[in-house]
Parts: sequence; C-alpha cells; structure tokens
Amino acid sequence: MPPRTILPICWVLATVVAVGMAAAWMTVGGHREMLLTGEMSGAHHQIGLACETCHAAPAFSGAAAARKALNRTCRNCHGDELQAADDSHPRKKFRNPRMAAYWEVLDARFCTTCHVEHRPETTRKGAVTVAADFCVACHAEGDQDIRTARPSHAGLAFDTCASAGCHNYHDNRALYADFLVKHADQPWLDPVPVHALSARHRTPGPPQTGSLGRSDALAPAAVLADATVLDHWAGSGHAAAGINCTGCHAPDVASGAPLAEIGAGWTAVPPLTVCRDCHRAESETFALGRHGMRQHPRIAPPRDPAATRIGAVLPEAVTAWLADPPRAVHMTVGEARLPMRSDPSDLSLDCGTCHRPHTVDTGRASVEACVSCHDDTHSRSYAGSPHHVLWQAEQGGKAAPGTGVSCATCHMPKVERRGKIFTSHNQNDRLRPNEKMIRPVCLDCHGLGFAMDALADADLVTGNFRGKPAAHVESIEWALRHAASARNTEH
Amino acid sequence: MKRKSGFLTTLAAGTAAATIVAANAIADGVPYRDVADMLYRVMSADREVYTRMVVQRLTVDHPVITVSEHFQDDLALPLPSQMFRFGAETVADGTGDFSYSLLSLHPINKKNGPGTGLEKEGLEYVADHPGRNFYGEEELGGEDYFAAVYPDFAVAQACVMCHNNHPDSPRTDFQVGDVMGGIVVRIPMD
Repeated sequence: MPPRTILPICWVLATVVAVGMAAAWMTVGGHREMLLTGEMSGAHHQIGLACETCHAAPAFSGAAAARKALNRTCRNCHGDELQAADDSHPRKKFRNPRMAAYWEVLDARFCTTCHVEHRPETTRKGAVTVAADFCVACHAEGDQDIRTARPSHAGLAFDTCASAGCHNYHDNRALYADFLVKHADQPWLDPVPVHALSARHRTPGPPQTGSLGRSDALAPAAVLADATVLDHWAGSGHAAAGINCTGCHAPDVASGAPLAEIGAGWTAVPPLTVCRDCHRAESETFALGRHGMRQHPRIAPPRDPAATRIGAVLPEAVTAWLADPPRAVHMTVGEARLPMRSDPSDLSLDCGTCHRPHTVDTGRASVEACVSCHDDTHSRSYAGSPHHVLWQAEQGGKAAPGTGVSCATCHMPKVERRGKIFTSHNQNDRLRPNEKMIRPVCLDCHGLGFAMDALADADLVTGNFRGKPAAHVESIEWALRHAASARNTEH
Repeated sequence: MKRKSGFLTTLAAGTAAATIVAANAIADGVPYRDVADMLYRVMSADREVYTRMVVQRLTVDHPVITVSEHFQDDLALPLPSQMFRFGAETVADGTGDFSYSLLSLHPINKKNGPGTGLEKEGLEYVADHPGRNFYGEEELGGEDYFAAVYPDFAVAQACVMCHNNHPDSPRTDFQVGDVMGGIVVRIPMD
C-alpha cells in the first residue's frame, strides 16, 4: 500500500482512538485533568475532578437540559445557605411567567447566568461572572427604577450597588431598610461588649459527674507509659466529660473488656468518623466550609467504570485502567489558593489539624492553629490587634467569658441550634460577602453603622481592625430619611 | 418555627392537591377558565381563612402575637400577602403547570404592581366592576397563557390598617370590603 494511502488511514485511526479515549474518560472513567476547560473559581478547585458533582445531565443531552441540571446541582450544595440567607432574589420568584421580560435581560432563574465556572478571566469576587453593574438590568426602568423610587440613589452608579457595602444580591439580612432604621441609634461599641453565645459556651458550668482522672485511663501499657499524653488527657475536656482513651482509640471494644482486647482493637490515630460520632454538628458544618468540603455528602464519588453500560462489556483490565484516580479526602495547605505559610504545605485538614484532643488548651484551635497556616495580611495583623488584646485578656482570666475576639469568634462563631450551642465550622457562612458577619458576630459588640463602615473599609479589614473606619456607608441615613419622608407624606 | 412549619405544611398539601386537580382537569379537557376558577377558589379560601382566623383573631381580636413583614426577625406572623406569595413561589418552584400572583394597582412593594398589559387591564377591570372577574390570553416569554384576574377584597380590619398605615403604601383610604388588588392565575396553553 502506498504511503499516501497509509498516512490518511493512520491519521483517521489515530483520531478515532484519541476521540474514543477522550469520550471514555469523559463518560466512563479515567484521568480528566485535560478536560478541564479553565481554572475553577473559589473553592471549587478542590473538587475539580469530581465533575458529576455539578455536571449531572446525561452525556450529550442538550444545552437546556445541561443548564437545568447545573442549576439543580448548584442548589444541592448552596440551597440551604440561600434559604438561610432569606435570599433576596430566589429562583422561585423569577419562575413565574409574569417575570418573562426580565428573563431577556438577566435570567435570574439560573445560577449560571451570573456564575459561570471555568472562566477565570471574567470571574470576580463571589464567583460572579457578570459585569459589576448587573443591577442595572432590572432596576433602571419603570417602577423598578431605583433612581426615581429613592431620591437618595439618583446620582449613584450601578456598579456601586453591591460593592459599597449597601446591598448584596442574595443576602441582605443585615442591610434591609427596616433593619437599618431599627439599629440606627446604636453606639459604635456596646457598653458591655460580649459575644453572647461565646460567653454562654465558655462560662464554666458545674463540675460534671462521671469525670475521669489519670488513674482511670484505659489504654495499652505502652500508651500509659507516656506521662505527657496521660497528663494532657486527664486535663482535657474529654476526660472531664467521662470519655476514656478507649472511647476514641478503641471505640468498638466493649466497655469493661480486658487490656489484651483493648490492645487488639487500638487505633493510634482515630479516623474522623470517631470525632463525628459525638461532634455531629461541628462535623456537618466542617464539610460545608472550605476546610472540609471534600467530605461534603453531595460530592460525586469516583466513578466505577465496571458499573457503566460500556464498562460491563469491557474486559476487567480495561475497566481497571479506566478507573478514576484515587481522590484526596482532605484538603492540604499546599493546595490552598489563599496566601499560606509554606512550611506545613503537605498538612492535610482534619479535626486533629487544629484541635489537639489531648491538650487542655482548647483556645489553640481558635487562633494559633489558624495563623500557623494562614499567611495573608489580615491574619498576620491579628497579633497585637484590639481584638487579640481582648482575647489574651480573656484567655488569661483577666476578662469575662465572651469578651475576647479570636479568629474563630468571627469566622467560626458559636451558633445555637435547638437549644445547643456549638461551633460552626463552616467559615464561609460568615464571609463573602463579609456583611454576612454583621448579625451573628459584629452586632453583639458593635453598632450596625460602625460594623457596616468597618467591613466596607478594605484597608481596615486587611489591618485587622486597628483603628476606626475611614469609609462610611450612608445606608442608615438614607433609610432614616426615607422613613421620615414617608411619614411626612402620610400626614 | 413550629407554627410556621404547620402553616407551610398545610399550604403545601393544599398546593399539591390543587396542582393535581388542575393537571387532571386540563388533561380531561376542562376549559381553562373553569380550571382557573377552581384554583382561585382554593387560593381565595385559604387566604381568607388565614386572614380571618389567624391574623385578625390573634393580632386584633385577641392580641397574643403581632403580624410583621419581618416575621422571622420579629418572631411574628407573616402578613397574609406574604403567606399568599410563599404559596405562589412554592408552586412556581415545583411546577410550570400554572402560576399565580397577588397584584395591585396600589402596591406597597412596586414589584407587585401590574407588569404586563393584561395585568393592568385586568386589575382595572376588577377594581371598576367589583365582584366580576377578568379573563384573557397573553404571550409571555414566547409561550401563550390563559390568564384570569380575580378581585382581592379587604376582608378584615387588619388588611385595611396595614395598607393604610404602611409608609410605602401609595393609597391610604382603604375600607373593609374595598377591592385592594387582584389575584392573577395563569395557565400555559400548550
């Protein structure tokens, strides 16, 4: 066969094989890095290769079906958060056909109208991929023209609506007009600045019954020989709560079992599931935040090629070759996109990374653990800041519980659910936009006006709130003026 | 919270039943107008019952709780109009078989004013002809809809007080029995 015949045949064959491999990787299993069409935004890069988490439409379904499926999967992970935020622009509000005119300009029925993944070149803060003046699409004409409805807004540019600390598209729980009016007269600092839930949580209760001491420890002889570990456990909250060594290191061994049985069932490093058994709320919220999102229950598991229709007819060796590569269960410091210290780059994030279950000092996870990894200016500026000084005073027993402000006070605050106080480990729940922090955190100690100004002052945030805000958000004055003007019109 | 869950459960059950009835009725060839009328009767009954037996009774007749637009922050009852809208949004979230809205020519929130030509015509008609309904067809988003507009009356003193006293209300002289707005029901005609 002449070369000019062979070459095209080889080219066609190579193309068919390459396309087949790409299709197999896409739909059956295998390495998919090369299929990523662009760097992913925010925290999504952590789950970048769990494509089915977001792309849930059947292969080769149409664009409309793919968009609907994407919308559904966005809500799988973010739906509860939006509901809790009392979403100002919920999808259901825009599904009514009377909103059809708005579908043409900014289709708020679909998350992907404003949040398109794999577009690093157009992605802004909050994974937003529409222009900063997106509010103009719906609030610049007719009854919705905010410039005529609110005289105070007449000269404002639309790119300042969501960037000046006044409004957010989804979460306006601390920014709506009646809330501003209600909190208009607050001083910058409460006369008794205390984070109430932290105070309740950190106020020592009565001695617990069933507390354990050094002599109660149940562990193999080699472990008991380590006096430091033993001392730490005996002074820990676990011992105070009656949790013996076996509770975590040999959870499957029956109570009262002989030492030999304890030794046989002993695990030196207990898995996360052991922590989860008792600290359920903390564990659940950990998987909702950036530190633990790889453990979110809605993340698609690795694919099993043998379970697919194509895989069922392929030889086992082929399905094994096609299997998805193993995925890391934990995020590592080195994978983070925020500025991090380089020395612990391979440190993976699980409970023990921040908490030392054997130590008495539970405060370590509130500050020292954070700054041992985070190396941005805000984190570095914490030491010596007014909040830090208060934290040190509380930790040193010189100030009341709840008066100190640690990293966790703001980013992983105490929350109350059904009468129980626990630490929310979803740090994203109080960030981005940072006004989400106002109600659950700032307002316990500061007035609304001061909190809004402080969070709108980027330099003040970066410097970890040393000094007073240089920025001023006029929302409260405008809301008061509007309320007064409405009252005057009425009378 | 428990109270709110109870209301929403009842509302959801009513909505589900109405959706099934509506879908079956259309499938059986019942005219759009009759389907819209049936849906309206369910909505109107629920709305009136909530207003009279919950809001009016517990906030005006025997005041044990307040009613507030910011009912979550204020630990209060949702406004009747909010209750109605929550139902409408729950339906919109779950089906495209029909939709409904509570609108007015004098809305406290401007987004609840007439947004289409038919809505404006219908709201004016029911305001000018108390007790009569308005029916029509319109195209929205490339789809044809049958639309019906029904009058929404001030059934209790609570409705009148709230609308007449709200700082954003464009009309402050409502009386019990007045047409305050209209309920718009839409059914796609495909």
